[in-house]
Amino acid sequence: MDQLLLILLNGLVYGLLLFMLSSGLTLIVGMMGVLNFAHASFYMLGAYVAFSISTLMNFWVALIVAPLVVGALGALVEQYGLRAVHKHGHLAELLFTFGLAMIIGEVIQLIWGRWPVAYRVPESLDFPLFSIGGTAYPAYRMFMMGVSLFMFVVLYATLARTRLGLVVRAALTHPDMVAMLGHNVPRVFTMVFAGGCALAGLAGVIAGNAYQTDPGMALALGAIVFAVVVMGGLGSISGALIASLIIGLVQTVSIGLDMKLSTALGRIGLHVDGITALSDVWDISINRAAPVVPFLLLVIILAINPRGLAGSRSS
Amino acid sequence: MRTISHTLPWVIAVVLVLVAPHVFGSGFSISLLCRMAIAAVFALSFNMLMGQGGMMDFGHAVYLGLGGFLAMHVMRAADAGWWIPTPALPIVGAFGGVVAAGLGGLVVSRSTRTAFAMITMGLAEAIVALVLMLPRLFGGEEGINADRSGGPPIFGFDFGSPLEAYYVIAFWALAAAGLMFLFTRTPLGRLSNAVRDNAERVGFLGYNPGRVRYFVYMFSGLFAGLAGGLQAINDEIITSANIGSNAAGAVLLMTFIGGVGTFAGPVVGAVVVTLMQMALGTVTEAWQLYNGLIFIVMVLWAPGGISGIILAHAPLVRSGQARRLVPSYLTVLPGFVAALLGTIGLSENAYRLQSIRGGSPPGGSIFGIPSDPQTMTPWLVSLALTAVGLWLVARTAPRARAAWLEIAGGTQA
Amino acid sequence: MSAAPALLLDGVVKNFGLVHVLRDVNITVAAGERHAIIGPNGAGKSTLFHMITGRFPVSGGRISLHGRDITDMSSYDIYRLGVARSFQVTSLFNRLSVFENLRVGAMRNKGAGHAWWRLLDGYGPLRERAEEMLEMLGLTARRNVPAGLLAYADQRALEIGLAIVGGATTILLDEPTAGMSRHETERAVALIRRVSEGRTLVIVEHDMGVVFDLADRISVLDNGRVIASGTPADVRGDPAVRSAYLGAAAEVLT
Ligand SMILES: Nc1ncnc2c1ncn2[C@@H]1O[C@H](COP(=O)(O)OP(=O)(O)OP(=O)(O)O)[C@@H](O)[C@H]1O
Ligand SMILES: [Mg+2]
Repeated sequence: MDQLLLILLNGLVYGLLLFMLSSGLTLIVGMMGVLNFAHASFYMLGAYVAFSISTLMNFWVALIVAPLVVGALGALVEQYGLRAVHKHGHLAELLFTFGLAMIIGEVIQLIWGRWPVAYRVPESLDFPLFSIGGTAYPAYRMFMMGVSLFMFVVLYATLARTRLGLVVRAALTHPDMVAMLGHNVPRVFTMVFAGGCALAGLAGVIAGNAYQTDPGMALALGAIVFAVVVMGGLGSISGALIASLIIGLVQTVSIGLDMKLSTALGRIGLHVDGITALSDVWDISINRAAPVVPFLLLVIILAINPRGLAGSRSS
Repeated sequence: MRTISHTLPWVIAVVLVLVAPHVFGSGFSISLLCRMAIAAVFALSFNMLMGQGGMMDFGHAVYLGLGGFLAMHVMRAADAGWWIPTPALPIVGAFGGVVAAGLGGLVVSRSTRTAFAMITMGLAEAIVALVLMLPRLFGGEEGINADRSGGPPIFGFDFGSPLEAYYVIAFWALAAAGLMFLFTRTPLGRLSNAVRDNAERVGFLGYNPGRVRYFVYMFSGLFAGLAGGLQAINDEIITSANIGSNAAGAVLLMTFIGGVGTFAGPVVGAVVVTLMQMALGTVTEAWQLYNGLIFIVMVLWAPGGISGIILAHAPLVRSGQARRLVPSYLTVLPGFVAALLGTIGLSENAYRLQSIRGGSPPGGSIFGIPSDPQTMTPWLVSLALTAVGLWLVARTAPRARAAWLEIAGGTQA
Repeated sequence: MSAAPALLLDGVVKNFGLVHVLRDVNITVAAGERHAIIGPNGAGKSTLFHMITGRFPVSGGRISLHGRDITDMSSYDIYRLGVARSFQVTSLFNRLSVFENLRVGAMRNKGAGHAWWRLLDGYGPLRERAEEMLEMLGLTARRNVPAGLLAYADQRALEIGLAIVGGATTILLDEPTAGMSRHETERAVALIRRVSEGRTLVIVEHDMGVVFDLADRISVLDNGRVIASGTPADVRGDPAVRSAYLGAAAEVLT
């Protein structure tokens, strides 16, 4: 029971982190139609910039400054890159971000090296907050959850209460109409793109030290964030939230289960040992299968509804 | 007249393919030629979706990989005594590809554009992870291997020598390219263009656009699987790396550099990128960075790829007006070269510096010029070259562009 | 058997969220009839076409074609039953040539299906049909131009062409002459008259000259309802129509 609670907590923290990435991406995809391949690269950049700032100054400065730096970079990319490519169509935009992801990945390795950097949880938060069934629960995880929830509230308030939010929501459902109403759409695009990048950067700041900051972190998370966005339905924030939490929980649970698939199926009354042709499959322990889980889930959900959990548009 | 202009490129291609291994006879060149041929088939199959059908498939390497694995298992069976001649293995690969795409297409073909691209990526991730989890079937990280000369000999050939393997691969590559070309001129091929341009309208002309997409996806998977069979013959090993996102990124780069707008574009891209990989991969670590830069530069300034550039100039060359463009193009060249050299200088120095920090001996050289990244000079020179080069390009490019517009506009009107 | 009307709309309703676009639309179009649908902007005419051709699901009511219920069918199944349409907002295959556009348009009914084992050029009747259509549309000189690069009027002509090239028995045209010059309009009307001979035609049109010239019967749609339906003479004299049509069009009606 305690074990379950622990897994649930970790899953929630991870799910909220996914949401910080997927909310920005789903806005960018939904509004601008740009499949931003570099989104997770901005997440990685956030972690590295935060690492440098926190060694020069401290974590709290990094927490504020690093997302701003990443967001500013995002604004530049949108203004001088994406906008110029826009006239060549969606495919060109996508390829642009593809190239950008490669460049960011390489430049990070040039600056910070090919191996993980020692980006650590700040000492002031490095203590066990409470313990569940004998296992100490780190305070930093709770801090991550707090930051995520705070950002969630800010994002919600921005979308629901501000003029910008109104335009963004209108643009999600009727992209062609917003320009006709006389809004400065390019500027809104820049702000959304920069905002999405800043959110990704913030996710990097708070996750880079909890997990690990290395050059592979973008690739590992990027595909999952894509899966979340598609699963939630392109352009749907609430869909992204649900999908993030589902994937966060399911993945954490499956990592926690060190059990063969055949054993697990046996527990629920399915005895498959006889089917030897698939013995490779039955021998997989569930925690090793964890990486596939988000994508299998994606495929299943799309097979049921090609628009995802909450999507109103299919493209 | 029309038939000549259609068949002539094919005749030239056949002659080139037959002659090439005798002109470039070394083992290295023959393996390079094989790689090009395989990449060309793969890129053409990819462009069936991207260029012809408007479908961006981020998981296309899956079909090459699964076709390759199937062919490899059959090759093993042949080694164990089954009567399966090596030249037939590409058919096995194609079968694997089409079956896999038939299943994958059920999931992806209902979506379009951005959603399609993202779903193909998710599907590919799932399959790559599965492949790694089933070591008995796919050999885990090491992959599976076999001996291509272990099959039954045909007319005394066992296809063990590189040249014999080359002819098998070349034959299938030409056949596949020919079939894919013919496909573009069938009703289904034309429908895929229509779905790319305006999927909704296709629905009001009696066709289910999702179904068109599904069929085209299967054909594309078939030829990707065939390329996988060729790869099995060439490398005698297939690993999960052949399935993964790097392989999918490479084919995207090839197709895009060659140009998605023409049938032959991907072939050009496959040849160019394979050459670059071979040539640069051995002398520089910065290959990934250059890849990214090439992407961005091409997307910004040459979205039609190499074949797009050729298409824009072919009529001018034919009418003899291209000569008038040369002077204005030449004015761009110095700036371009300077910026290129500067960028190379910056990146090479950066990589060099990194390996020095990692423990390599200090110093270094670029193009034979001594360049020690731990001193200021190489950095300043590279930076200056880049800055001046970019400035020059920015000054001269508009005029070159205007010159092209003027002359090309003149011939069109 | 022949008693069933070509097209029967029975209490068709369409809501977009809280917006009621069509409220209880009843229209009967007899086989072989040329039926015009008129009404002010935003009356729901295009939406009605979308309902008939399966572009959006209906919110209520039934639609039948020659007595057969087509309410919940997909656009391509409805096409296969002989209903083709044009769009108010030009919708072509922009990167394909004019000829290829027309060939795609005729493919289904010339038996090309999804064939991948035969070359397109091998379908003689298909090519002939596309060439004939080029001629009829006056686009022969533009045969190999990508549709996206055509002049606006030529694109509109091609839009009509896509609707009629397949030889459908019921043709729906949504403002075919919008944006055309006087001369082009005359040409288009002559073409429409010619190709709708012996077929059922439903046409949305703002040009009252065209409507009264072409239509056997007229339905007037206003605010999602049919406020009048009948022969041109009936509709001309209807007081409800007059009040819906204050302004420029009213003069044509008098
Ligand atoms: N997808 C949609 N969502 C919400 N409202 C819609 C949608 N499509 C149409 N409408 C509304 O339905 C009403 C009818 O639109 P429709 O296009 O059918 O009118 P119309 O009679 O064809 O007008 P016009 O003469 O301008 O073409 C309009 O008020 C329009 O704003
Ligand atoms: Mg309308």
